[in-house]
Amino acid sequence: MPQNAEEILDHAKLFREPEYAQMFENKKQQFEYGVPAERLQQIVEWTKSVDYKDKNFARDSLTVNPAKACQPLGAVFVANGFARTLGFVHGSQGCVAYYRSHFSRHFKEPTSCVSSSMTEDAAVFGGLNNMVDGLANALNLYKPEMIAVSTTCMAEVIGDDLNAFIKTAKEKGSVPAEFDVPFAHTPAFVGSHVTGYDNALLGVIRHFWDGKADTAPRLERVPDESINFIGGFDGFVVGNIPEIRRMLKLMDVENTVLCDPSDNWNTPTDGNFLMYDGGTTKQQVESAINAKATVVFQEFSALKTAKFIAEHGQEVVSLNHPMGVTGTDRFLMEVSRLTGKPIPAELELERGRLVDAIADSQAHLHGKRYALYGDPDLMLGLTQFLLELGAEPVHVLSTNGDADWAAKVQALFDASPMGKGCKVYPKRDLWHMRSLLYTEPVDFLIGNTYGKYLERDTKIPLIRLGFPIFDRHHYHRMPIWGYEGGLRVLVMLLDEYFEALDADTSGISTTDYSFDIIR
Amino acid sequence: MARALAVKVQEIFEEPGCDKNQGKSEKERKKGCTKQLAPGAAAGGCAFDGAKIALQPIVDVAHLVHGPIACEGNSWDNRHAASSGPQIYRTGFTTDIGELDVIYGGEKRLYRAIRQIIERCDPPAVFVYQTCVTALIGDDVEAVCKLASAKFGKPVIPVDAPGFAGIKNLGNKLAGEALLEHVIGTMEPETTTPYDINIIGEYNLSGELWQVKPLLDAMGVRILACISGDARYREVASSHRAKAAMMVCSKAMINVARKMDERYGIPYFEGSFYGIADTSDSLRGIARLLVRQGAPESLLARTESLVVAEEARAWARIEPYRERLAGKRVLLITGGVKSWSVVAALQEIGIEIVGTSVKKSTKEDKERIKQIMGDEAHMIEDMPPREMYRMLKEARADIMLSGGRSQFVALKAKMPWMDINQERHHAFAGYEGMVTLVHEIDRALVNPVWEQVRKPAPWDAAPVA
Repeated sequence: MPQNAEEILDHAKLFREPEYAQMFENKKQQFEYGVPAERLQQIVEWTKSVDYKDKNFARDSLTVNPAKACQPLGAVFVANGFARTLGFVHGSQGCVAYYRSHFSRHFKEPTSCVSSSMTEDAAVFGGLNNMVDGLANALNLYKPEMIAVSTTCMAEVIGDDLNAFIKTAKEKGSVPAEFDVPFAHTPAFVGSHVTGYDNALLGVIRHFWDGKADTAPRLERVPDESINFIGGFDGFVVGNIPEIRRMLKLMDVENTVLCDPSDNWNTPTDGNFLMYDGGTTKQQVESAINAKATVVFQEFSALKTAKFIAEHGQEVVSLNHPMGVTGTDRFLMEVSRLTGKPIPAELELERGRLVDAIADSQAHLHGKRYALYGDPDLMLGLTQFLLELGAEPVHVLSTNGDADWAAKVQALFDASPMGKGCKVYPKRDLWHMRSLLYTEPVDFLIGNTYGKYLERDTKIPLIRLGFPIFDRHHYHRMPIWGYEGGLRVLVMLLDEYFEALDADTSGISTTDYSFDIIR
Repeated sequence: MARALAVKVQEIFEEPGCDKNQGKSEKERKKGCTKQLAPGAAAGGCAFDGAKIALQPIVDVAHLVHGPIACEGNSWDNRHAASSGPQIYRTGFTTDIGELDVIYGGEKRLYRAIRQIIERCDPPAVFVYQTCVTALIGDDVEAVCKLASAKFGKPVIPVDAPGFAGIKNLGNKLAGEALLEHVIGTMEPETTTPYDINIIGEYNLSGELWQVKPLLDAMGVRILACISGDARYREVASSHRAKAAMMVCSKAMINVARKMDERYGIPYFEGSFYGIADTSDSLRGIARLLVRQGAPESLLARTESLVVAEEARAWARIEPYRERLAGKRVLLITGGVKSWSVVAALQEIGIEIVGTSVKKSTKEDKERIKQIMGDEAHMIEDMPPREMYRMLKEARADIMLSGGRSQFVALKAKMPWMDINQERHHAFAGYEGMVTLVHEIDRALVNPVWEQVRKPAPWDAAPVA
């Protein structure tokens, strides 16, 4: 018997036992009638060829293994960034279960969010009743101070009008008239999660700045000296936002982080369940209109929001996920320029240490070839950092990156001798990436957890930088922004390099003559 | 210092093969050839370290360090000396003596340690290294080894080079003495040929020997023993049957070369495998010496055609770099033979040498540097880190080539840096190695971080009008 009570084998081991192996073999022989193994292998090999790559890149309808998620995911991210705010997604409830599990698996934290749970009759007659009941229930059950509404495709297809629905719901008394219910239409069939982030954030800011859907006077801007900071959709937000705060504090810059989920997704285990923790308060959102300027850390995460803020009289500086030495320099200098405050010695010290660390290790990463995929701004930041290290970001791919984004990546390539043979791939998926990895191999792949299939197939080691990361724990707690974050990313790149080197030289009596103590 | 050791050290100081030593007066010679250490000033490795690095590349024996943990703990497999087979030389064996051993003596523990190694690993020999503490408490390593050898019927070789005996270079030589006394000549090779040579003072760091061996193979020359890179015990033990020897690492093991000449009539010459011209000269030297020793004259022509072909091939591969590297200024902080052989190699491709360190160089090394570089102005004697920092800042060199410890000083002085000592990961020997060296220098020079290193933080830069 393969399984016995004395020693229970788990799934990883059980099915390798001879009885099961035999059973699978029989099933294959007698019932499956698959193609011969040889033919199968032939096809597998063909999928690695240039011929296949050409066909793969000619694909015009099918997306295989997309590296993006949908708008409402970004909207739920935003809802989590405001104090005592409940995300409310108008539409079918299954979608919301996805967002919650997605975030919980990444951040290892509960993620609160509700749905209006539309069913078939709602699809036929419209979802108004679901909105009316949903808002009332959400308020009674979870006691939020704000409900941020977004939509799934279902509600978008039938054309539910959020503004009107929320108004009606308030008239019907499901929530008090003065209760804040900002909203955003976030159809998944347009854009990606970064678009959803943008729309939802804009929804919140517009609500407070532009008269709460005509129920209050519009805010008048009285300029002050503070700076707003918008991080954008970011899987490392738990580490990054505190790091930004620390740097701004060192610079003595008064600031408001618009959308800060770093506490909500980082609650302690102390016996209390905190459904809401931290986040930007309503008062902060309101006073943010007075800020001197807004720094958007990820341009493509906040295109519309940036425009809206600029129209309200603030200077908006949009960055592209600046990382490493040059990237962080840029960020700090912008802040310094906007506020007139100098960059303090502490930060210069951190900068010197990062430069020192990069120089210490330069020989190892120099000329190493990387393939990377992910959100548009992360790609820009990483590309710049890799070039700064003397590495070559050979394939830079983004499913939700467009032509404007591609032009920006190309500009980075053009500015560095290391960028010479590098290419940018907008609107491509991970199956395209697979072809690239086979036809123009690289040393390392950078992406999210889904890259592990590519790693398995191509044997190119994966460095996990992106969203989601489900199969490694706690990466999100460490910042990748600022000089400290640059150091963290540098170590990640080096770790993978050395791991690969050790693995490559660890064959006993075959390759271990290079299995060295000092690297 | 134990008398036996004192005698040995004195003998080494009187090395007749060393011109520098012979140039001294009787009194100077008595004082010894090692520079007196200045207490309180930074110093390099000790005699134990020198002995260990000289012998550890013998790959199939167990290297047992008799002493407290620090000695083996710090020297364990830290040199990238590569092996083509056995890996036992990389296992850290030590008696790890404790307080009670210091009081009651560590000889019994040492004996038991030797027994356990032989029982468990059965290597062809065990090398036992004396250290400061065990020497001070009077452990007679030689006697224990003798007893163990007799008892277990296996060579157990005492290496009597405790750290306090002197500097690293002295340790290299004491290691050589141990080989001469206990190993060389104790076995016979299965066959001999007129083309058998020894290579002395080559440690196969990062596999450098393997870049040279194919050249010797092509000449039809056999390395009977390399002392000690990628060596097997049997090869070293039967190395006395070689027809000629080449001494590679400057003066590290000159006593071995000279005494093997005396005892077994094996003539030697000093050469280097760093640089194209030096590699060619060395190959020619080997051929000439073998022919003088009775090998057929055809070897000379064969060598010459190999040299011509390999040089042409190497130059062709280096050519693309010449334009990029010509005029680049390099500062060399290294020791011994590399202080001049690498100079010549770099000059071959038009690189300018700003300076070269001569801290560990002998008088001949310095002579050669003078010949190659034209004057003494660029020779750098021993210097503390602060001095080095100042010099680096002023040197206006494009890159510094040095060992791992100077690296970190270089970096603070915003100096691009490349490792050419033992901790490096690339082999730079032979024609192949020179191509690699040039490639690596080129790579190091273009890394974007150097620009970053040399720039102040952008907000500190003077505002541009």
